[in-house]
Amino acid sequence: MVVNKPAIIIYTNEPDEDLLREVCAGIEEEGVLYQVSSHEGDLDTLAFEAAKESMLGSGVGITGARLAMQMERLPKGRNVFELNMPRFWQCRNLGANSARAIKKMPFKPVI
Amino acid sequence: MKLIAGVDIGNSTTEVCIGGVEDNGKFHFLSSASRMTTGTKGTIPNVHGIKAALLEAMDKIHQPLSALDLVRLNEAAPVIGDTAMETITETIITESSMIGHNPSTPAGAGEAVGELLLLENIWKGKPGTAYIIAASNKFSYEEVAARMNQHIPELDIRGLILQADEAVLVENRLNRPIPIVDEVRHISKIPEGKLAAIEVALPGTTIRMLSNPYGIATLLGLNAEETKAVTPIAKSLVGKRSAVVIKTPHGNIRENVLPAGEITFHGDQDLCVNIDAGADDIMKTLTDAGEIRDIDGQQDTNVGNMLNRIKTSMADVAQSQENHIRITDILAVDTLAPVEISGSLAGETCMEKAVGIAAMVKTQHLPMQQIAKRLESELHIKAVVAGVEAVMASLGAMTTPGTKLPLAILDMGGGSTDAAVLGPDGSVRTTHQAGAGELVSMLIQTELGLHSRVTAEQIKKYPMGKVESLFHMRLENGAMQFFEDSIDPRYYGHVVLLAPGEMLKVEEDIPMERILEVRRDAKKKVFVRNAIRALRTVAPEHDLRKIPNVVLVGGSAEDFEIPEMLMEALSEYRIVCGRGNIRGCEGPRNAVATGLLLSYLSDR
Repeated sequence: MVVNKPAIIIYTNEPDEDLLREVCAGIEEEGVLYQVSSHEGDLDTLAFEAAKESMLGSGVGITGARLAMQMERLPKGRNVFELNMPRFWQCRNLGANSARAIKKMPFKPVI
Repeated sequence: MKLIAGVDIGNSTTEVCIGGVEDNGKFHFLSSASRMTTGTKGTIPNVHGIKAALLEAMDKIHQPLSALDLVRLNEAAPVIGDTAMETITETIITESSMIGHNPSTPAGAGEAVGELLLLENIWKGKPGTAYIIAASNKFSYEEVAARMNQHIPELDIRGLILQADEAVLVENRLNRPIPIVDEVRHISKIPEGKLAAIEVALPGTTIRMLSNPYGIATLLGLNAEETKAVTPIAKSLVGKRSAVVIKTPHGNIRENVLPAGEITFHGDQDLCVNIDAGADDIMKTLTDAGEIRDIDGQQDTNVGNMLNRIKTSMADVAQSQENHIRITDILAVDTLAPVEISGSLAGETCMEKAVGIAAMVKTQHLPMQQIAKRLESELHIKAVVAGVEAVMASLGAMTTPGTKLPLAILDMGGGSTDAAVLGPDGSVRTTHQAGAGELVSMLIQTELGLHSRVTAEQIKKYPMGKVESLFHMRLENGAMQFFEDSIDPRYYGHVVLLAPGEMLKVEEDIPMERILEVRRDAKKKVFVRNAIRALRTVAPEHDLRKIPNVVLVGGSAEDFEIPEMLMEALSEYRIVCGRGNIRGCEGPRNAVATGLLLSYLSDR
């Protein structure tokens, strides 16, 4: 039996490491666990599969300098937030929002 | 068949009703419509709205506007209402000696005392002294943690104040757990070298030491005199999740009671009352003064300026000399307003005592005759001004099924609450009282600290819910509503107002329970109190029990909870009270327009 920890899942495909670090910091500040793993696929797939895999129902996909946040049961491609070449604070808030989605708190601005 | 129209110009809407009189004298109601009032009630620009409403109503019965034979306008009550709010206490904290706020994620728990030291000067710290470190956002969380860890072995570091929202990130990287307060906006104002106490509450609780004067005294070693001085600080920190109090020997904290001033009622007898006495005493004095001729406030005080402001703005509306404007009624309501503390470090607010006042001004007769003339020349239809508004409203309200005489109507609009009693002998007693929908909006806005009046109006009007997931929301009554399509993530986690056909987001982060409490409270404070006051004035021998039924008409009668509140309050007096249903089909609207047509029949 595979036991998942209650964590936000982050699927990456050759990510920009600085942006990834900021997303993780955003999640950590909100006090939620996360797991990062490397996968094949485009941005929509990464985010969709990550959210599906997450026991908490919240996932992030990162490929290059593009990021997407997705929630369980939302159709593939309808990402809750999507950023292209973002600044650091935007990544931080996107990470925070993936945690806030679970905590049922209002999202922070990402744009 | 002759077609006649009744037109009611209200503060916010213009309502029309069309009826036909057959040659044998039989009368039918044919159609009705309602439009926004254009311009201020009782002025020439109203004509535009009247025409639009008439056109809509005539369209419904497939007749051209020219088929009308007669237009009857109401003699609008020459009363206009206005509202104002004034705080009567004020907390002034000089030399920035406290921080108290609710960062979403502080870290650590417990309290600590130490000398303030900026992170860039941490190398100056001496072993053996307790320190609280303050770090601005030019340091990243990794730098803060690294510098702290470097000095933790030699220095006695007890707590940390951060400018950025990174308390948890820093805590996770520290070698020793300490309480950390973050999101302190004006960190540069922190005085280095002063003694400070910081506290972070345990999860799910609020702070205990710093919201207690003796707690502050214990931590900072204050004497009795100083403890008395910090009481306002403790008061304003109640309910916070984290706080910092800084001991500033020369700092000054006072709770000022502003010179609020006195209100003078010129009535059967002239009476004065101080605003400080509170709403109940003000209203009692108003009653004692008997029939009011004018009300004014002491010069150069808050209330004096407030009443002057109302008179000036009224003079503009009524286009008459300011000294002709007389305030004939007020409604005072106690409230609390969150006011930003001057010299705060993180935008702290303090709930200050305030009084909200709605005032009503009687003007000269409104120029209704001119409106009638203009209408006549533009439409080539005979237009007359007929009947007093309250009488017409009573006649219209009589068409509600299940009513009998004597019948009282309560017309709760935006600016004033009007009541009238129609006796079995045809006699009518009327009254106009200050305070209605607009005062409620103002109370909601100030008590919740909302930025816009529009949001307050919407909170007043619509029920609300909280979006708990992208597929469902919890409504204010606890029920859940599910959605087929996902809700826009912008609404996620927010309280939304359920306007017809759309959801409106409340930008401020206020719990739904709090909004609900404030909304209900404001409506009760204004409407229930005013309804009883108005009905008592018009009731035979001022005895509420002598009124068997009360019909609610006007805009506020359409509210989703006010009629129930009034029904509950009035059932105590065995009064049948409910939302009107004009002609059994119009709901609480159109009472005056209907009354205008009915009065035409009896006039003939």
